[in-house]
Amino acid sequence: MNKVLYIDIKRCIYCRSCEVACEREHEGHSHMTVVPVHGRHAVPMNCRHCEKHPCLAACPTKAITREEGGPVIIHTMKCIGCRMCAMVCPFGVLNFDVIGRVMRKCDLCVHRLSEGKKPACVTTCPARALLFDEFDVIMKRIQEKAALAVISGVGSQPGTVVSPPRG
Amino acid sequence: MGALCSFLPGYVQVTNEQGRKRIAAHWGMEDLPGQPGLTVVEMINAAGEGKIRGMYIMGENPVVSDPDAHHVEEALSRLDFLVVQDMFMTETARMAHVVLPAAGWAEKEGSVVATDRRVQWMSRGIEPLDGARADWRILCEVADRLGFRFNYSGPEDILAEINRVVPMYAGITAQRIKQKTGGIPWPCPAPDHPGTPILHVERFGTPDGLARLIPVEYTPPAEETSDEYPLMLTTGRLVIHYNSGSMTRRSGALLKRSAELFVEINPSDAERIHVKNDEEVEVKTKRGEAVAKAKVTDKLPPGVVFMPFHFAGANALTISALDRVAKIPEYKVAACRIEKRSQN
Repeated sequence: MNKVLYIDIKRCIYCRSCEVACEREHEGHSHMTVVPVHGRHAVPMNCRHCEKHPCLAACPTKAITREEGGPVIIHTMKCIGCRMCAMVCPFGVLNFDVIGRVMRKCDLCVHRLSEGKKPACVTTCPARALLFDEFDVIMKRIQEKAALAVISGVGSQPGTVVSPPRG
Repeated sequence: MGALCSFLPGYVQVTNEQGRKRIAAHWGMEDLPGQPGLTVVEMINAAGEGKIRGMYIMGENPVVSDPDAHHVEEALSRLDFLVVQDMFMTETARMAHVVLPAAGWAEKEGSVVATDRRVQWMSRGIEPLDGARADWRILCEVADRLGFRFNYSGPEDILAEINRVVPMYAGITAQRIKQKTGGIPWPCPAPDHPGTPILHVERFGTPDGLARLIPVEYTPPAEETSDEYPLMLTTGRLVIHYNSGSMTRRSGALLKRSAELFVEINPSDAERIHVKNDEEVEVKTKRGEAVAKAKVTDKLPPGVVFMPFHFAGANALTISALDRVAKIPEYKVAACRIEKRSQN
């Protein structure tokens, strides 16, 4: 199974360290943007590396590829900067590089993955809001936490009805 | 360590004669001054009154970070001699007669302690750039020129002295913390002591071991709002910047995210003075004025406005009234008014 970048939105503290880490890895371009919502919440936004990747389908020069199950990558040498990928992206996470005149986006730090490392944003996040693991493993962990909350009330949301365990 | 005006290293009160003399003996002296010194704002006031004639400021930028900035500048300009030791040519360093270029954190090594009592070793990443030197080297050389002998061979040697002088640091040796990621929290009285991550576990440091909850009486702020200054200004921090911004305002990556002074204002107040989001406004108090970009937000209740203090300007507005015990300035309360920028 391939690993995915999972965002635990409740944990994000809007420190924006992920943005700076991304810039460090990508020659000054950040492909992670933490978006404040109503001044009270923050949502880190990056390429979701979709399974049905509309950007790849829309690219007229086949500059976007996806390795089997891996990250969706823009090959900047082939990119003509037409921004079609940005138009079909549901998340608005494609950036136009005004100097290179090409599109850029999150590549999951492929260069780090090949060295067995995690993406820089994940390593940097002090709140553990960014996770990099197999999707099933992450889901299992969340399920276990939710199950514990049902039984014990620990970690449950306000308004949750909890029945104490019997015996 | 040793930066508070009423304590010697290891929280020994300067008024504690026995403790004071013990430390003096380590330094080959019979005794040390037994009167507490002045706190930061008190020092600035004393400089303004001509009672302090010279100052040596290390790694601090009071022209931006202290309250009532115009008064700070005026006071510093009255000094006969001002030395500033800093990584950068800060707003304060520009006023100095002598500037001593200090190495940055990546250019030096040594032990550091944080407010959670954790003592850690910082390793050097690169050699200091041209002209810069580690703070301890500068201090040793200044001491030498003044006729003292500071014979330290390096930061290990300095920590070894701390181990001898401060009992709660006795076990925090350079050898240990160099090997221990995350460091050791004091008290750590012996080389085989693990350190104390939580200070009070079974009991508090009172005779009966129980904590004391002490009620405090409400003290009104030194300045209240008025018809002339109807808004309450509060100042504080942003996650993007650090203190006076002398380091963070030099980072392109950080400036891209937070470039300039702003003032947050509730939509109802903004509407009353006909100010739109992102419009430049003038914020005025009895002490000064600052130009800032208005950020209209319902994060703040009506009547209260917020400015970050990391940029020059915010503290031109604040008041230097002090808490009577802690001597902390009232950064959080100043009466102000906001005006549209005059179109001239």
